[in-house]
Amino acid sequence: MDPTANLSEPMETREILEQLRTEAPARIEQAGTVEELSDLAVEITGKQSPIAVGRRSLGSAPPDQRRDLGRAINDVAVELNALIETRRAALEAVEASQALEADRVDVTLPGRVPERGTTHLIQQVMDEIVDIFVAMGYTAATGPEVETEFYNFTALNFPIAHPTRLESDTLYLDYGDVPENILLRTHTSPMQARYMEQHEPPVYLVVPGRVFRRDPLDPTHSPVFHQIEGLAVDTDITFGDLKGVLDHFAREFLGPYIETKFIPHHFPFTEPSAEMHVYANGRWMELLGCGMVNPAVFEAVGYNPEEVTGFAFGMGADRLAMVRHGITDLRHLFDPDRRILEQYR
Amino acid sequence: MKFTLDWMNEFIDLPTNDPEEIAEALESLGHEVEGWERIEHRFEGVVIGKVLEVGPHPNADKVRVTKVDVGDEVLDIICGAWNFEAGAVVPVAKPGAVLQGDFTITQRKIRGITSNGMICSESELEIGEDEAGIMVLDSDYPSAAEALGRDFTDLLPDNDVVFDVTITPNRPDCMSVYGLARELAAFYQIQLANPDLELPGGDAETSVTIVDDVACPRFVGREVTGITVGPSPHRIRARLTAAGVRPISNVVDASNYAMMEFGHPTHAFDTDRLGNFVVIRHADDGEPMTTLDDVERQLQGSDIIVADAERPVAIAGVMGGADTEVNDGTTGVFIEAAYWNPPGVLLTSKRLGLRSEASARFERGVDPGFCRLAADRVAQILVETAGGSVAGVVDEYPAPPTPRVIELHMSEIERVLGIRLASAEAGALLLRLGFDVTGDDSLVVTVPTRRPDVFRPADLIEEIARLYGFDNIPGRLRFGSGMGLPESESRLRTLRSVMAGAGYHEIFSFSFIGAADLDALQLPADDSARIGITVVNPLRDEEGVMRTTLLPGLLKAASSNLAKRVDDVRLFEVGKVFLPGEDELPDQPDRLGFIAAGGGAPRWDGTDPGYDVYDATGVWGLLASAMAVEGSELRATERAPFHPGRAAEVIVGGRAIGVVGEIHPAVAAAHGIDGRVIAGEIDADVLVAAREPWRFEVPSSYPPQVFDLAFELDSSVAASTLLAAIDAAGEGLVEKRTIFDVYEGDPIPKGRKSIAINLTVRAPDRTLSDEDVAPIRKAIVKAVEAATGGMLRGSV
Repeated sequence: MDPTANLSEPMETREILEQLRTEAPARIEQAGTVEELSDLAVEITGKQSPIAVGRRSLGSAPPDQRRDLGRAINDVAVELNALIETRRAALEAVEASQALEADRVDVTLPGRVPERGTTHLIQQVMDEIVDIFVAMGYTAATGPEVETEFYNFTALNFPIAHPTRLESDTLYLDYGDVPENILLRTHTSPMQARYMEQHEPPVYLVVPGRVFRRDPLDPTHSPVFHQIEGLAVDTDITFGDLKGVLDHFAREFLGPYIETKFIPHHFPFTEPSAEMHVYANGRWMELLGCGMVNPAVFEAVGYNPEEVTGFAFGMGADRLAMVRHGITDLRHLFDPDRRILEQYR
Repeated sequence: MKFTLDWMNEFIDLPTNDPEEIAEALESLGHEVEGWERIEHRFEGVVIGKVLEVGPHPNADKVRVTKVDVGDEVLDIICGAWNFEAGAVVPVAKPGAVLQGDFTITQRKIRGITSNGMICSESELEIGEDEAGIMVLDSDYPSAAEALGRDFTDLLPDNDVVFDVTITPNRPDCMSVYGLARELAAFYQIQLANPDLELPGGDAETSVTIVDDVACPRFVGREVTGITVGPSPHRIRARLTAAGVRPISNVVDASNYAMMEFGHPTHAFDTDRLGNFVVIRHADDGEPMTTLDDVERQLQGSDIIVADAERPVAIAGVMGGADTEVNDGTTGVFIEAAYWNPPGVLLTSKRLGLRSEASARFERGVDPGFCRLAADRVAQILVETAGGSVAGVVDEYPAPPTPRVIELHMSEIERVLGIRLASAEAGALLLRLGFDVTGDDSLVVTVPTRRPDVFRPADLIEEIARLYGFDNIPGRLRFGSGMGLPESESRLRTLRSVMAGAGYHEIFSFSFIGAADLDALQLPADDSARIGITVVNPLRDEEGVMRTTLLPGLLKAASSNLAKRVDDVRLFEVGKVFLPGEDELPDQPDRLGFIAAGGGAPRWDGTDPGYDVYDATGVWGLLASAMAVEGSELRATERAPFHPGRAAEVIVGGRAIGVVGEIHPAVAAAHGIDGRVIAGEIDADVLVAAREPWRFEVPSSYPPQVFDLAFELDSSVAASTLLAAIDAAGEGLVEKRTIFDVYEGDPIPKGRKSIAINLTVRAPDRTLSDEDVAPIRKAIVKAVEAATGGMLRGSV
């Protein structure tokens, strides 16, 4: 098509438009890229296109033909523009999909994982046990791991001849002027005395923490282990409450159908004292020690045993973790092997 | 404590012989049964026989030929033992008998003569250890002579069971067969045999004087004459062995047997070497004495001793003396059965480091009422087993204890146990346990002398509860009024989960370390972390000092992983360190420690798998933000065991609360780690300190101005100085500033560097125009230049 052709004659203009209308669709359809199509669009509808030229020449057309001619030009423009836009959409879709295809990667290569660590199993078990009691209306506190002989033994009514006081059982520290005064606490029970000294009854308390005994590390013993202590003191606490609360705990921790039984035992700081056993894995086994707070302990901390009663209990977190997760050797719990730690999800 | 059922049944007639049932009964009484085991005999077809003739073997010197009457026949048996003669009653394995489970006895010829079986020793029957040869039953089992041809096992206890029971330390009265029999009698409501054993005898030849009747409220001495020291009969040895006591000789065994039976330790002196005048007194300071174990010991005035006119002969309740020890030639003994004041025994045994079964029992408190019984029981056994005769007795009892009387109100039982008992019911339970009970509404209870553990109503309530049955007390679920988890505890949990979220695994390491662990950190000699509190009695040297830092545990943990080719190890620990302080107890702050090492193989995408100081400072940044620690800064520090140029102190509120950075390469190497190791140790208390409730702020809805500034500074200027200057000059409008480039090299002069920062400036209440920002930008540049001595290189 010759853009310089003289379109001043309406008849001539019509012919040219007709020619455009006939030829252009095929060319639009043949455009292979958006770019090609854009060039073509300029040729067909741009400033130098027959359509534009025709519009500009309308003024010089005879007045009686202007309206028809103008309409004719517009019809062609609308028709061709629609074809171009349709083709453009198609081409753009193809190009977009080609670009995405070029961006394709192997999604099975290892991703950038923000690796997650773990909290220690013993910690998890302690937290879980604390939470069970917190849900029953208890608060939590922790105490010093290095203790005085007074809080670890004397305030808890341990007789002077109690075997646990011996250097064969308890680790003593070279600290202060009085020999055998400062020691590594052998249980979390000293916090019973410390807490009661600092708080008025009622007391509903659990104490998670680390304790120490002079036991060589073997599959069932460790010089370092962990306990959760509990203490409830109020005006009307009975042995029945002790049984009810600890039985509830056992079922929360080990499962709703767990069976418990209480058998007499001895702890200097409780009277009567008991062990709670649970039936698990086909046998009865000891889960925790407990008892009614010995009036001597109330006297040692300045509570009036005529006015309050209470119960106390203590359990080993390490052992509970072993029971529940099938760990047969206590030493694994103190092994920092990442392959072990990763299991503590 | 171990004992056999057969022994127990000498004092009670148990309604069951099912060991499981008996174990349950003991357990419900509070005596934990560690286990029980049936005594199985691993032989059969062994009968009782009597040796009729003993003659030489014509072709062998070392054996003899015997004729043995086994009831229905007389067998020729060749025997290699020489400890018997004609007339001896012996166990005979006839042909067809099976010994030791699978060894069948057959007729066989020995040097031309047929032997029709075997005369057995204890070890061949696996029922004891041989003393001299075959087992001669005459004295052990006198009834055997009447039972020729009967099965040998008829002599032994039928279906006997060994129980192993743990006695809690408050119950010294149960540390004996009789003591536990008493408990079971109460449980089953059956008769307990009265061991009434007042042997006759006039005054002893030896007189006893007690100087301190607090230390020694009672002393019984019983004389036995005409004894021959030798082995005990099998039945005594068998029971002792089952009880875990090694048989020694009839004199020692008699003492041990009586102790296992009635719980009261005794001591036998050789009368020939003991003077006629015995005194119980305090030792003189420095007085020497050689104890049974042949150690010469220096006594003190606080030690109570048994002495004769010349010298100490025993340390009271602890150990006898070598001078008066019974030996093979002993023919007479003076048996001491005393009650020693428990604290005195404890003091002396502890001081001398001499702990024995006897001292352990005296420390817990034996029954002073049992002294005479114990001495007489030993004498009685010696008469049976050592051919002795009971002679004189001395019983000094200057200070019989006043029985304890406790008043018990029924309301007290209800207050403690939550059950209502009639006083008759409660009284009956106590009576079954041997307490004297009177009174109606409230009981007046007299405590037997064997129960040093019963002082208060609570102790009686325990007795009632355990016989009533804990299972029969109904449970009641009751909720408390506690205040839930304290904030510090829940923030500790947050701290742990933040570290876990950052890929760190929590470890639990021991609280003690060895002195060598501090050396391995290469701390300077005056480093405060070197002043650890020592453990007086550690199990191992490696556990001799309380940790002053968490780093040794973390370094060892990382190192042990890498040694196992478990790489990319990120660990943390939250725990106490122990530091000398001003108070009675050492300071025991909680610390957070972390370590990361051995990033592993390079990744496919080119990202760096290793760790460097910025990972360490990044952990602090994470903690500060996650734990909402306001106003912290990092300051370069040179502190062992960290890299001198790659570690920072964490400053909060002007106080250094920890260090983060790279571990000194030499320290890492000493732990067997190649490559960079990062670590940190921070006071956890600051991190988990309670927060004030925070106030909400509405974020600005106006657009920001974003621009870059680049400064040229001396290389030594810390980036933190530059950022602080920006913050100070920003009039609170600098919302974000990010260092996006640090450059040294051409065209920057040597010793200088360029730091480029991207700033976002936004006002809360309006859109900032270029005109608004210009003065802020100018102020920032001025402030940075003033603070750092640097100059603006350019801006965009």
